[in-house]
Amino acid sequence: MNPLFEYHVQQTRRQFFASVGLSFGGLALGLCDGKAQAPAARPAVHPALPGLPHFAPRAKSLIYLHMNGAPSQIDLWDHKPGMQRYFNQDLPASVRMNQRLSTMTSGQGRFPVAPTKFKFSQHGQAGTWVSELLPHTAKMVDDICLIKTVSTNAINHDPACTYVMTGSEVPGKASIGSWLAYGLGAETQNLPAFVVFTPRFPASGNGQALFTRMWSSGFLPTRFNGVALRGTGDPVLYVQNPPGVTSDDRRTMLDALSKLNERNFERLGDPETHTRIAQYEMAFRMQTSVPELVDLRTETQRTLDMYGPEATQPGTFANSALLARRLIERGTRVVQILHRGWDQHGDLPNALRNQTNDTDRGVGALLMDLKQRGMLDDTLVIWGGEFGRTVYSQGALSRDNYGRDHHPRNFCMWLAGGGVKGGITYGETDDFSYNIVDRPCHLLDLYATVLKCMGIDHERLTYRHQGLDQKLTGVEGAQVIPDLLA
Amino acid sequence: MRLCPLLVPALLLFSTALFAGESAWTGAKANHWAWKPPVRPALPKVQDAAWTRNPIDAFILARLEAAGVKPAPPATREQLIRRVKFDLIGLPPTPAEVDAFVNDHNPDAWEKVVDRMLVSPHYGERWGRHWLDLARFAESNGYEFDEPRPNAWRFRDYVIAAFNADKPYDRFIAEQLAGDELYPYDPQALIATGFNLLGPDMTDAANQAQRRQNTLEDMTDTTGLAFLGLTVGCARCHNHKFEPITARDYFRLQAFFTPAEFRRDHPVPDAKEKAEYDKRMTAYLAATADVRAKLNAMEAPYRKQIYDKKFAALTEIVQRAHRTPEAERSAVQKEIVANTARKLVVSAQDVAAALTKDDKARHAVLQQELKKFDARKPALPTAMALQETGKTPKTFLLRRGELRNPVEEVQPGWLSILSPDMRGEPASIKTIAPTSSGRRAALAKWIASPQHPLTARVMVNRIWQHHFGRGIVASPSDFGLRGDRPTHPELLDWLACEFSSTWSIKRMHRLMLLSATYQQSTIDGVKKDPNNALFGRSNRQRLEGEIIRDSLLAISGRLNPKMGGPGVFPPIPPEAGVSAKQWKASADGADHVRRSVYIFARRNLRFPFLEPFDVPDSNQSCPKRERSTTAPQALALLNSSDVIAAARVLADRLDKDAPDTDARITLAYRLTLGRTPTDTERRLSREFVAQSPWSELCRALFNVNEFIYLD
Repeated sequence: MNPLFEYHVQQTRRQFFASVGLSFGGLALGLCDGKAQAPAARPAVHPALPGLPHFAPRAKSLIYLHMNGAPSQIDLWDHKPGMQRYFNQDLPASVRMNQRLSTMTSGQGRFPVAPTKFKFSQHGQAGTWVSELLPHTAKMVDDICLIKTVSTNAINHDPACTYVMTGSEVPGKASIGSWLAYGLGAETQNLPAFVVFTPRFPASGNGQALFTRMWSSGFLPTRFNGVALRGTGDPVLYVQNPPGVTSDDRRTMLDALSKLNERNFERLGDPETHTRIAQYEMAFRMQTSVPELVDLRTETQRTLDMYGPEATQPGTFANSALLARRLIERGTRVVQILHRGWDQHGDLPNALRNQTNDTDRGVGALLMDLKQRGMLDDTLVIWGGEFGRTVYSQGALSRDNYGRDHHPRNFCMWLAGGGVKGGITYGETDDFSYNIVDRPCHLLDLYATVLKCMGIDHERLTYRHQGLDQKLTGVEGAQVIPDLLA
Repeated sequence: MRLCPLLVPALLLFSTALFAGESAWTGAKANHWAWKPPVRPALPKVQDAAWTRNPIDAFILARLEAAGVKPAPPATREQLIRRVKFDLIGLPPTPAEVDAFVNDHNPDAWEKVVDRMLVSPHYGERWGRHWLDLARFAESNGYEFDEPRPNAWRFRDYVIAAFNADKPYDRFIAEQLAGDELYPYDPQALIATGFNLLGPDMTDAANQAQRRQNTLEDMTDTTGLAFLGLTVGCARCHNHKFEPITARDYFRLQAFFTPAEFRRDHPVPDAKEKAEYDKRMTAYLAATADVRAKLNAMEAPYRKQIYDKKFAALTEIVQRAHRTPEAERSAVQKEIVANTARKLVVSAQDVAAALTKDDKARHAVLQQELKKFDARKPALPTAMALQETGKTPKTFLLRRGELRNPVEEVQPGWLSILSPDMRGEPASIKTIAPTSSGRRAALAKWIASPQHPLTARVMVNRIWQHHFGRGIVASPSDFGLRGDRPTHPELLDWLACEFSSTWSIKRMHRLMLLSATYQQSTIDGVKKDPNNALFGRSNRQRLEGEIIRDSLLAISGRLNPKMGGPGVFPPIPPEAGVSAKQWKASADGADHVRRSVYIFARRNLRFPFLEPFDVPDSNQSCPKRERSTTAPQALALLNSSDVIAAARVLADRLDKDAPDTDARITLAYRLTLGRTPTDTERRLSREFVAQSPWSELCRALFNVNEFIYLD
């Protein structure tokens, strides 16, 4: 954490204790008799596990931009100029190799190749090929490590989303954000360690439901659940004082109760009591810190302009991206933005344009903003979906319109920031973006690499559940990919 | 799928070794304590025999004395009545209940309290919930669409009734695993088999054969966890890494389930409902015979025509698969047929769209005619259940657990480690009827046997865990080598032998609750046993979310005690942003204040007030709830409408029921914490209400630790 900010937090904390004597939780608990307890004995709200990080981290925090529904790698990142001449020809059997299809196209009579209708051009010093749909992200390619050969296991959204978030298709495992919160804790005392946004998405988007299991702690204790900030109404449920309770009432309650603290309690030495007091303190502070977090008046006009006109509209992607930066600044460990609507089985060109219009500016601005503040050095950003999309068209195909089915065999994700090599493209697919031909990167290999950036040996971050030492990266020996690391 | 194509040949070489290990087990894996049937141990000798009240205490005290630790002093009577009421009923004691017990100086006062609670119908709501956690109970399919299961509540009611009736545990097991085979005429036993189908179900799965396989795996895994306390699911893709369970063992266990059809709408009428249905159905059929015949005659040519057209639209390969007689279809053809069958279904809409103009008019008239009788058409109550139809599909050992990689056929059989000579022989199975293979009946008989080394131990340990805060085996669904060792192996065996002699769960409650061990306070005077491994004091327990909500309702006098029936939908605050499709509040306000066990259990949407309090994810069997402590909990208890309403109503109640400030403070403490305030607390509260509304005092009391913890 920024030392200046740390100082600020400590000051705020001191002022708070000086003014009311103790937190609300401690005070309410003080209505019961007990032995005195020294405030200094209270633990940090989000302590790290002993021994973690395993080694010096390159990235201290993670921002994960998940495009739910599976963005088309063919129309965004995986440039295949040679594909144009195959327009409307059947995908050669030698390429398809009788692989599993989803039920949505398994009954289709033929599999005609649908080249992208979008123009690609080279960007940055690295000359990375990027689709015209991503002009803002394209400006940042020299900070981006593009991986073209990510693969996953599942072909339908639900298991694939569960897999991409937890490393397992079977519900009940811990999400990547929960693992990091569990292992590394967080530096903030005022905000959750792991925060999730689920911004709104274009009406043309084919939106799959999101499940809390995607940011759930699974078998880990529930204090490691992601806290989903809401785009409408209150950002945190129950964060407002109830109707009829004014802040004066609260003040009266706190002041009256503060007198009780000479006989503060700690009845039976139950360590959970300390935790509970700490959580009441945090809940109390969230009543202030959350409104402060979402109050963007302290941002400069220049910053707001970078994120675009939606920056100040709660519930938008741009607003979530800006809040992600503010959260990381305030010591939150992991922020995830789950943006929906990327499931283009039909009418892909129009719908995908709307999806990228909704997000590209925010993504580019987030990277630029982090970079300008020197935060990109120790913040890792991930962008991706739960699988890719097929080269062949689902439904009617024309030069201007087509759809694409699910394709788990290869898709594009990118990393940027703390610990990864910017301006590179890793791995290669065949001419149809249908099979991997060079340097595969299984999703769990990618996660092993991400954990490495965060100072964690993925083999050693474990939790015993149902007789097994569970890991984010599973039991089949995921590998860190050194070529991605700076 | 996990590995990239380049690695596949290596995997195939490697995997031939995966299924070895069929010979007799040896070494530590063979000699693990839990594989040997429990033998009733002699009671240990203790020095302070006066402390003991029943044999449990002898086992506990002997270990304490050996470690030089004195048991904690007994809990106060106020603590005891609160503890046992929450423990058995899940609600706070009323002041009258507290007074009655505190003032009852008869030696059997405690026994009477325990017995009274064990016969309360609300006992089943409390202990049934523990079983529902194990059964991964939910009332929707989960996954992407999370469709409701409108009849799933019947299983919940079955469980509550079973606990209330003290249904012997061996019978409880038999009904859930094989109720259709063993008690085919008992509708409750059919409902019980729904246990196997309670897991998530991907209705839109790309591959319907895989969907069925997923359900088979889920019921195999859950049977292992819930009844046997074994993580057999780990052996699905490879021999278990830590336990003596092979992949072949896993599929042998699964083979008990393969003849079952998974019914989502199995009729479960009792005799009276069935007779009534038959009578009304006969009348309905007679009354509509004419109009139905006319409709059929008109639709038949259209149906044929539409079917032929749909068939012609299929590709040649698919057509050939459908034309091939079922018995001769290849595995691929079977998959094709399963995945494309729905394309050949001729729906009522198809027929309606195809009708000529004239026929359309006539058809509409006839349908109108038929519709007039709808009110007279009876329906049977249905439930999710297993049913056999006489077909016995083969069960295959699947390489890496993948359906398309069958290795060899297997027959139903016990886990090799628990078989004679530790060899995996096929089980001996007697067919019960042409449509009842007897497989699950045999499985139930094997599991529910007093000689089974795991069944009784696992269940008494679960009961112990809920009463004492931690199991004698701390990993309640894992009794294998990787599970925790029992802290008191002799006690566990003694309890298991006691239990399997009658299989009465209520008898076990009585034994445990009447022990001196249970009646200890939580005071840790000696500080020699920080984790309380010796049970030399009571463990402080945090109440579950459901119990916190039920308490808020009960204390403010709003709890609707109605039992059973379809799930209810209390309102969810608009700030939660839940769509009306997911949750529509029940129209009847009385349904908003039912006990939490009756809240509709949506797999993908945990009730927002309960969620921060560790309500388990119903995708998996949950043997032990988390006890997290989080800021969202604090916010829920400070600011949620449930708490605000309870505080207001309680303040009104204090005003009405107590004459002055002192009496009101006393009543507030008694209702919320089950005890009278100390002098200091009384003085502080007086100062507090001088400045703040009474509802704020109530709200503060809902937020003190003591409210959600049991001492």
